Amino acid sequence: MDVFGSFTLLLAFVCAVYAFVGGIAAIITRHPLLVKSTRQAGIATCVLIFIGTFSLEYLLFSDNFSQAYVVSHSNRDLSAFYKIAALWSGQEGSLLFWSFLLAVYVISVLIAYRHKNGELMPYVGVVLAGVQIFFLTLNNFVESPFKALANVSASGALEPFVRMDGNGLNPLLQYPEMVIHPPNLYSGYTGFTIPFAFALAALLARYPGEKWIHLTRKWTMIAWCFQSIGILLGAHWAYAVLGWGGYWGWDPVENASLLPWLTGTAFLHSVMMQEKRGMMKVWNVWLVFCTFLLCILGTFLTRSGVVSSVHAFANSQIGPWFVGFMLLTLVVCFVAYVKNHDYLKSENQLDSMISRESSFLFNNLLFLVACIAVLSGTLFPVFTEWFTPSRISVGAPFFNKIMIPIGLAILFLTGVGPLLAWRKTSVDSLKRNFTWPLVAGAVSAVLAYLLDYRNAYALVCLFLCGFVFWTIVMEFYRGAKVIAARSGMSMMMSAHELAMRNTRRYGGYVVHFGMVLIFIGLAGAAFNTDVQKTMNLGDSMKLGPYTLVLQSADTKPEKNYTAERMIVEVMKGNKQIMMLYPEKRAFQGRDQANGTMVAIYSTLREDVYVVFAGIDPDTNLPVIHAFLNPLVKWIWLGGVWVVMGTLLALMPNRRAALVIAGATQPAASPVAPALTPSVTLREGHD
Amino acid sequence: MIKRRSVFVLAVVIAMGVLPLVAQQQPADRVKAIGGKFQCMCGCGQILTQCNHVGCTMSAAMLKNLAEWVNRGDSEATITQAFVQQFGTTVYAEPPKTGYSMIAWAMPAVYFVVGATLVLLVISRWRKRPQAAGVDAAAPVTAAGVKISQEAMERGRAQAARETED
Repeated sequence: MDVFGSFTLLLAFVCAVYAFVGGIAAIITRHPLLVKSTRQAGIATCVLIFIGTFSLEYLLFSDNFSQAYVVSHSNRDLSAFYKIAALWSGQEGSLLFWSFLLAVYVISVLIAYRHKNGELMPYVGVVLAGVQIFFLTLNNFVESPFKALANVSASGALEPFVRMDGNGLNPLLQYPEMVIHPPNLYSGYTGFTIPFAFALAALLARYPGEKWIHLTRKWTMIAWCFQSIGILLGAHWAYAVLGWGGYWGWDPVENASLLPWLTGTAFLHSVMMQEKRGMMKVWNVWLVFCTFLLCILGTFLTRSGVVSSVHAFANSQIGPWFVGFMLLTLVVCFVAYVKNHDYLKSENQLDSMISRESSFLFNNLLFLVACIAVLSGTLFPVFTEWFTPSRISVGAPFFNKIMIPIGLAILFLTGVGPLLAWRKTSVDSLKRNFTWPLVAGAVSAVLAYLLDYRNAYALVCLFLCGFVFWTIVMEFYRGAKVIAARSGMSMMMSAHELAMRNTRRYGGYVVHFGMVLIFIGLAGAAFNTDVQKTMNLGDSMKLGPYTLVLQSADTKPEKNYTAERMIVEVMKGNKQIMMLYPEKRAFQGRDQANGTMVAIYSTLREDVYVVFAGIDPDTNLPVIHAFLNPLVKWIWLGGVWVVMGTLLALMPNRRAALVIAGATQPAASPVAPALTPSVTLREGHD
Repeated sequence: MIKRRSVFVLAVVIAMGVLPLVAQQQPADRVKAIGGKFQCMCGCGQILTQCNHVGCTMSAAMLKNLAEWVNRGDSEATITQAFVQQFGTTVYAEPPKTGYSMIAWAMPAVYFVVGATLVLLVISRWRKRPQAAGVDAAAPVTAAGVKISQEAMERGRAQAARETED
């Protein structure tokens, strides 16, 4: 199976090269058969990558310990669930997984548009094949996942060698979220290849109008959604597994995942300027290019070991390949832009400084500043090593100081943007629109102050959360009121109808609502407290309003690990709240470190987060580290709303329709209401 | 009288809010605050006060030193110097605000100022742009008596449709 897998990847590489070279020839000659054959080569590339990936999974599931990758990342007792995750737990498998997910997108695009956009698709196919060639080069010639173990015999010849068992999966990755977090994050990274391919193709083909944007809008949202889910799941994994009490440590790899998300978010906003006003065409194209390049940079940072990180799962020689690919991509984008920039001539014209357009410009500015600040902070240690004799670290305190004000400014614009009209907003309208949101913000801040959330940044954040929340409520209320008045539906039904008629707009507001919840959760971090104590059985510790009592300890053998558990009772006053079971896991397999499993009692107000930190070497007693983290649950709830909002935005708009609604007749009406249905035109924006 | 009372109430409210912020820190708080600016040097990459590896000899020793220096009344600068002498500049969790490291702190502000200037320039340039609208003889006349070309009307209709979509 290893030879088979290796062969399919090699064949996929050949097909991708044909799709690329043949695609260029098809663009030049415009020969329909050549166009068709290169498209089919593109599809074949994807199918072969699927087969190659399934071959590796087969080797993992069949415990084929003649394979280096299987030995390094699996063992016999590893559950099937984690054998799936073993695919992306190592360098080689992870790069193959990149190719796999990219192939899913590519085959979807090639099949979905096989009879459409005939002028554009050959260019798209060439760009996609180019990206696939790069990753297949890594899969085949640099980091092949199909390497058999071999021993050198007495005669000096290489002999196949089979190990009895494998080393097992990294304990940090043996957590349910690790089976879904990387695929989501990678789906985000790879998904941005599609808008990139369309943008570059449209530029190369001088494809008219904004059609490439309409074609890629949904793909961009899908990639953005996956990226958001991936980032949040990663944060939750860090919270529940790493045991340091937080969810975001501004680790270089975390930062790497945030960078394309920031530019992708900027793009999703600025693209509206192009669609509605024909503005910012050059900016949008470059935002897409940068987002793709940042995705590649993210993979590079995670995989090359150029920056030290708890997440940098590998330290290898693939760095120069990635740098080369990024430079090549940048050159291609730049040349395409220089040659065809006249095609991007915009209809840029602004009527007023106080307008939706201006708010989008500032929104983009803030996202870009955030992105560049995070990028430069992440790479600063590398630069200091180049220019000074020592390496200067840049950690969480730096990023918090820099990013909190930027984040608050973005939150402010999240509220302001929808209150401003396109083109121009009058002073009267400003007064009318801003009064109640400002009041709501002030009420939120006062409430927070009274509830003892007394920190300057947190209060500003909660003020803005109230402000933005009210703008969203107003948007739904105003629209729903009109529909309710015309159709006779209830306000709830009208709000639903409103959202369904313009899913993109109201889906966007739902996403904004999710972000408000996330910011409330982030504000809570200002009030985190923690206590660490060496405890004997029966000992207790105070944590805010809670008392934690170490009741007992036990050992729980599982199939792939043995858990040493502490049984901690959580009390509030004299009332027992619940039992928590923080544990340390000793995994089987050679070279495997211990894993942590945090126990959390989570409410909307706060999390009681208990870690069994280990055994004190001096006293031989367990050490319990407990954290009181306010409002964390709001972050995860916010994430759910962000996903729901994106899904809503992906749905097609419900068209305006003629409906027969039972009219409410005045009491004096001579005719019975049931006999006189009135015809109401449901208003839609489309 | 009412005015004086209002001023007094306001002063009390402000004092209640501000006093906790300016109150002198206890040694344990200082250890936490200063320790939050360094990294544990065991290689875990965590903030010194957040290193959660029980038995980590590095963080335990560093925190012990830090507590001693804080209790002795050493200034933050002296403590920082001592750590840097011992471990080098990699001990910083955030770059110092001196010398070459100032670049790290200054850059985000520079990005923002440059970006905001560019945005303002772009806005002012776009605001000055004239409307491009040709007029033909057969063009419809608006209520104000202004002739608008057919092409401009079509463009306007398309734009209105686009802008009312969202």
